[in-house]
Amino acid sequence: MTVTVTPDTDDGPPRARRRTRVTSTDVLCVLLVLVMLGQSAVQQVLDVPALRTAATVFVAICIQALPFLVLGVLLSGAITAFLPAHVLRRVLPSGENRAVGVAGLAGVGLPTCECASVPVARRLIGQGVPASVALTFMNAAPAVNPVVLVATAVAFPGEPGMVLARFLGSLATAMVLGWLWARWGKTEWIIERARRRVAGVQPGNRWRTFTETARGDLVDAGGFLVLGAGVAAAMNVLIPAEWYGTLSEQLLLAVVVMALLAVVLALCSEADAFVVASLPGVPLPAKLVFLVVGPVVDAKLIMLYSGTFGRSFAVRFVPVAFVVAVACGLAAALLVLGGGGR
Amino acid sequence: MRRETQNVLLVLLGATILKLVITGDYLRYVKPTHLAWLIGGAVVVAGLGAIAIWRDIRRNMAATRDRNQEVPQPDGVAEPACGSDDGGGHSHSTPVSWMLLAPVLAVFLIAPPALGADSVQRSGERSVSSDSSRAASAEFEPLPDEEVVALPVVDFVRRAAWDDSGSLDGRTVALTGFVVHQEGEVQLARMVIACCAADATPVTVRLGGRAGPQVRQFDEDEWIRVTGTLVPGSATEHNNFTPELDTRQVDGVPEPRQPYER
Repeated sequence: MTVTVTPDTDDGPPRARRRTRVTSTDVLCVLLVLVMLGQSAVQQVLDVPALRTAATVFVAICIQALPFLVLGVLLSGAITAFLPAHVLRRVLPSGENRAVGVAGLAGVGLPTCECASVPVARRLIGQGVPASVALTFMNAAPAVNPVVLVATAVAFPGEPGMVLARFLGSLATAMVLGWLWARWGKTEWIIERARRRVAGVQPGNRWRTFTETARGDLVDAGGFLVLGAGVAAAMNVLIPAEWYGTLSEQLLLAVVVMALLAVVLALCSEADAFVVASLPGVPLPAKLVFLVVGPVVDAKLIMLYSGTFGRSFAVRFVPVAFVVAVACGLAAALLVLGGGGR
Repeated sequence: MRRETQNVLLVLLGATILKLVITGDYLRYVKPTHLAWLIGGAVVVAGLGAIAIWRDIRRNMAATRDRNQEVPQPDGVAEPACGSDDGGGHSHSTPVSWMLLAPVLAVFLIAPPALGADSVQRSGERSVSSDSSRAASAEFEPLPDEEVVALPVVDFVRRAAWDDSGSLDGRTVALTGFVVHQEGEVQLARMVIACCAADATPVTVRLGGRAGPQVRQFDEDEWIRVTGTLVPGSATEHNNFTPELDTRQVDGVPEPRQPYER
């Protein structure tokens, strides 16, 4: 027997491992004890108005988005455990381009926000669905489902065109991205473990596969969601609100700023319409661009993408998705709202 | 990160959300209709962690038993390793999974309060009575026939800005909100949320009139209830539709259970 420094995942004898390595469990225990001991001291240090506001926004985004992520990982677990790959193949049209169209429209049927759809897309890819089709579904679902459209209608009571414009803009974004991927995308950009086929699940093992897949996806994606929430909370506090006031004159500037705001604010697609409706003086097309960009690219999604599909996917997908979403949003605004309206 | 640590983190996170639900503090962060989502999410998060812990314990016990029965090796050398037999122990997660601890620490260390004066001052000109809500406010219900009408602040501000029928004229209203000192004047404010605190928008009312000096004695973020009448025509585009209240009376009140309006 050899006592060596073995990595966590090694199959080495557990006793030897314990003796030579500080494990993450030890770190966690020490951390929790420190926190308990120093609670009041830390509380005093952190008692700054800006920090408290940021912390409130941070916790709010986390606990608001987490249940939707949970729904997403449960769906992804169910897809892996209960939906055999051959059934999926039969449901989807054989041509990739047509399948992209079907996937976009299928997004109407998943009434959640964007956090749920990322793990679902990953497991669809794992079950042999073409990446272009899975990505189309991922981008369409959070923006074109009934819940989001009703929320948009409520937020823009005087502008019924906004609902149609948002639907068209978001659907177009998802489908264009799907077709772009079908034409130029390379599967190797997606990290290997997201593409890995889950070997045929034995009937007796389905529940185990379900809970283990959901658990693994939750641990993977949850950390990135929290990281994104932190970025968004910091931006919420750091961006001076006076910026909004200067946007009324130049449409182009307003579109660019609103698109970037959609990225850094990372609002849930079920709530973003209410926020954007409350911004004074921002031209309507710029507001629409905000609503189309948000569910496809934002701070927490960028983190989720790189955590789920790998960094080399995220650096290619995010800029393209941003440009496509802005273009589709503007096109929908011209088509439905007639351009310069307010 | 080890599988065991992941499971403990999941249980911790689920328990933290359940704590927010039980104490009612979740209302500082999300709207009340999220309650069912929160409970469901928390139970699943903690449950997935707990199930994995239970499975690991059972498997380890079974492994130990098999070992003792088949090959008794008291010095514990070279037994088949447990924990990696059937793919259950894949612990390839990135260090980012540590971030799951952040909301837990934030809740227990900072216990973030409901958004208050600091957010109002950061919000600049964002307001619920801005352009797009104008059409929605075309028709207002008449106020109930009481001597003092308790109104949500957001309702008061919308009526003051857009109601042409004059439903507030001469009526005494009671408003509850927190104190903000801004630009040399004292305001009563309330945050309006659509979904969670990240999308909060303030509504504010300037407090003048007889009880004005009395209002100044309250510190920022203190909750008050004021009664008074609208100063007609005080909500204009120039002041971003912030109406003024001719304040008659002001009392300190405890923070309401539900700090946000919608």
